[in-house]
Amino acid sequence: MSESESTNSTQVEGDQSVRQVCANGVCMKTTVVEEKLDEGNIQEAESALRDGLSLNFEEARALLGRLEYQRGNVEGALRVFDGIDLQAAIQRMQPSISDKHPTKKGRSRSETHAVVQHSTSLVLEAIYLKVKSLQKLGRLTEAAHECNGVLDAVEKIFYHGIPDVLVENKLQETVSHAVELLPELWKQAGLYSEAMSAYRRALLSQWNLDNDCCVRIQKAFAIFLLYSGVEVCPPSLAVQIDGSYVPKNNLEEAILLLMILMRKFYLGKTKWDPSVLEHLTFALSLCSQTPVLAKQLEEVMPGVIHRVDRWKAMALCFTGAGQNESALYLLRKSLHQHEEPDDIMSLLLAAKICEDVFLAAEGVKYAQRAIANAQGVNEHLKGVGLRVLGLCLGKQAKNSSSDFERSRLQSEALKSLDSAMALERENTDLIFELGVQYAEQRNLNAALHYAKQYIDATGGSILRGWRLLALVLSAQQRFVEAEVVTDAALDETTKWDQGPLLRMKAKLKISQSLHMDAIETYRSLLALVQAQRKSYGPLRSVPQAEDDKINEYEVWHGLANLYSSLCHWKDAEICLAKARGLIEYSAETLHTEGVMHERRGQHNEALAAYINALLLEPNYVPCKILLGALLVKMGSKMLPVARTLLSDALRIEPTNRMAWYHLGLVHKDDGRIADAVDCFQAASMLEESDPIEGFSSIL
Amino acid sequence: MSIDATTDRTTSPENSTTPSKPHITWQDSYSQAHIAIEALSSILQSIPPSLSKSETPAFSLLHDPETADLISQRLRHPDSGAGDDNLCRWLYDTFQTSQPDLHLVVLRFLPIIAGAYLSRVTLHKPLAGFEAILLALYANETTSRNGQPVTVSIPDLSHSSIYHETKQTSKNSATELNLAVISPSLEPHGNVRSTRRARIVGIALELYYSKISQIPVGSKIDFCEFCRIWSGHDGTELESPGSTQGKEIEGEILEKKTEVKRGRISLPWELLQPVLRILGHCLMGPNKDKELYEAACAASRSLYTRALHDINSNAILATRSLLKLVKLAAESNDDIDHTEITFTNVITI
Repeated sequence: MSESESTNSTQVEGDQSVRQVCANGVCMKTTVVEEKLDEGNIQEAESALRDGLSLNFEEARALLGRLEYQRGNVEGALRVFDGIDLQAAIQRMQPSISDKHPTKKGRSRSETHAVVQHSTSLVLEAIYLKVKSLQKLGRLTEAAHECNGVLDAVEKIFYHGIPDVLVENKLQETVSHAVELLPELWKQAGLYSEAMSAYRRALLSQWNLDNDCCVRIQKAFAIFLLYSGVEVCPPSLAVQIDGSYVPKNNLEEAILLLMILMRKFYLGKTKWDPSVLEHLTFALSLCSQTPVLAKQLEEVMPGVIHRVDRWKAMALCFTGAGQNESALYLLRKSLHQHEEPDDIMSLLLAAKICEDVFLAAEGVKYAQRAIANAQGVNEHLKGVGLRVLGLCLGKQAKNSSSDFERSRLQSEALKSLDSAMALERENTDLIFELGVQYAEQRNLNAALHYAKQYIDATGGSILRGWRLLALVLSAQQRFVEAEVVTDAALDETTKWDQGPLLRMKAKLKISQSLHMDAIETYRSLLALVQAQRKSYGPLRSVPQAEDDKINEYEVWHGLANLYSSLCHWKDAEICLAKARGLIEYSAETLHTEGVMHERRGQHNEALAAYINALLLEPNYVPCKILLGALLVKMGSKMLPVARTLLSDALRIEPTNRMAWYHLGLVHKDDGRIADAVDCFQAASMLEESDPIEGFSSIL
Repeated sequence: MSIDATTDRTTSPENSTTPSKPHITWQDSYSQAHIAIEALSSILQSIPPSLSKSETPAFSLLHDPETADLISQRLRHPDSGAGDDNLCRWLYDTFQTSQPDLHLVVLRFLPIIAGAYLSRVTLHKPLAGFEAILLALYANETTSRNGQPVTVSIPDLSHSSIYHETKQTSKNSATELNLAVISPSLEPHGNVRSTRRARIVGIALELYYSKISQIPVGSKIDFCEFCRIWSGHDGTELESPGSTQGKEIEGEILEKKTEVKRGRISLPWELLQPVLRILGHCLMGPNKDKELYEAACAASRSLYTRALHDINSNAILATRSLLKLVKLAAESNDDIDHTEITFTNVITI
């Protein structure tokens, strides 16, 4: 047993005199005992307690230890606890309890049970206080081992798990404390894999923890899993109960725990803790699983999160997953004048979603409101507002009813983007968007400048930059240079990303009348597309131009066009059949079919094909033009119909040179020479600035 | 994982050479680390003597602040990273040894390598040295993953799990979980094609993240600093304009601002996602360091600003949560230790 040589015990003065110890129905003040302890005289203090309260040795020591601990004298407490052999005490208790524990009712048994539990409780609390003392002294690993000992003992004593009702409060409290403390100790000691298993032990064994304690452990574990960066093995399948879900890695386990916590919140089992939602948001947005998050947000009880905050967060979730319609619906609600009409983040997000031909007008309004609200703390977002304004105006221009309106909107769009540029010189996306805007307005020199600047600023790392440059060059009829750019881009991409580039290359070859080369390029494109289809789909790296994935149908259709232009009717038919096999009815294939009939002089069949195409897609411009052109050939009676069709085509695509050309022919046949001249002039001007693919295809 | 390496670092060499352990690796790692240190000393000229005499050379190399400073300075030099850069060569060679603890030494400098590389790539300077290291890291990850993607199946609480039970008996036990791809499959790359650059750096950062609990704090602080530079925003935008006071500092702030703006790079998700994971660790990881925490807060502010400017909703959600967590932590004064016993004046047994 411990000796009283330790004279240097640290003093604790100024205790409240009311402190007292009670046992066996007797209470005594602690002043005398404390004095003895301060003198370092543990044995005397102990015997004072034993005499005063008629306690046995272990009880007295446990009480003494607790007294020292409460006085903040953790070193002293340790010395007291060292004096008793706790392990031996536990062992003494074990058989007696485990004998009794298999519950059979009987009065005498439950009584002895209570007695034994009481002394177990005393011993376990003593070890627990030893653990806390060690923790406070920074001896963390030692503390963790001791704490582990407490849990081992509990597991041995209650090998069926802790029963709900049979346990004394104090014992349960000690157990809960130890369960919660152990992982923290390992963590503080820097032993992370031990911490991980301690957490799992805490949550997977039956400790009869109360709700709050369990919630705290689950949260702490989730945080540890999410941020520690320590990937230890996942929970073993041994713990699995008939088909229940076992997470396979840290992130899964963390998300599972956080979701369980969220459920506890909305079932009202525990108090709302906003940080849990934030952790879950972080985890799920890293996995790009924001719709799941939206569902979680929806389940939160009303009154916990402000409704506007909830709408905004859900809108972000939906846009993240491309579900723009739902997002816009929520944003409209939160931007309502009675909610938060001036919230700049919502305004910008709404405007961004409205970058669409049909929603552009609404987007313009949001963007203007965003700019108006870009003040104070939000001043830095003014450039962003101007940028989305420009983009929305550009889209709106495409759907405008008159030429005048269109050119007004276009120039406003440019103005807006330019002023955004003045505020955000370093924003590479903006450089690109300006390039496209200029290109669409056929200001090719400016477009070329921005396309080059974009490639420079991004180090050629973004595919669409290369494509824009090649397209602008092709519009300037610099096909050779465009091909050089395309080849350079092919060098900088891996196989899977090359689809759009190969397609462009094929079209460039056709523009240079290198038909055989074009066929060759189409072949490699076809091989790529087919290989892509076979390779394991969704898990593969997503190509940069995700929206512009080349599909097999498109390739067959392109080849059919190419063959038909070479009058290889048979090959063209084969390709067309392949394309039809993939998409049975489409305006494009009908268009090609019509062209083939027309070139072979089968005008009625051609007519039927064009009309069918327009029935499928009323706004399909190429067929409108061809139909118009064909009708012109059918005599002067048809001229007004042709004229209507061509004008309509020009309304949809004002820069379509073929439409201008054929309209010119109509005017000529009708004898309106001046009008015809105008149209031909427009056609020839546009021919000099026609890209091989539409500029909007890369936005 | 490097069980051997970790024990080597903590036990003294005498112990670890005891014949009871099957030990070839220790000899290897010890001598290889010494070879690496010798090679480094000829590159850096001066090297602290403690390093060359160290009994745990790889550990000392990883944690010696003086050497780290020297190497960092060299890497940050505007002309570093070319194909003939000795130091890059050394880092590459060091990574090629199969010693996990030497790998850590190379990874320790990844923030600076990636930072310098991505910021300079548009300047048309030769950067083959940096690229070789990054490709080596990428190749390592590709082999260890066997090119496979990393996926996470998002749990669905309507099915019981090990941590909860549900009363509903699910009709079809073939659970339809949402499969999320954390990192897509990898294909080998022999050189850095510009459109794959972000991906390669992103994978190197994933490797860094997987070892992050063993990386010294200094390296993580470097990382946070580069996050700010990459974002192109110094994060002060979020404060109200009047709050930056003092005129003499203003010039300094302005200078810093332009430095940060110039470093702006495009941040596609394949790069941003690993960046955010690392940042999450710096902010919420188990071992708290005040300086790192502040650097990580600043980085989060910058990346949040950037996300707003890009109107990138996923990034807004992730960075906004980080900032909210920082705020919640600052506001809450609940330092209650739930594992503490209740103190009473009347002590009973």
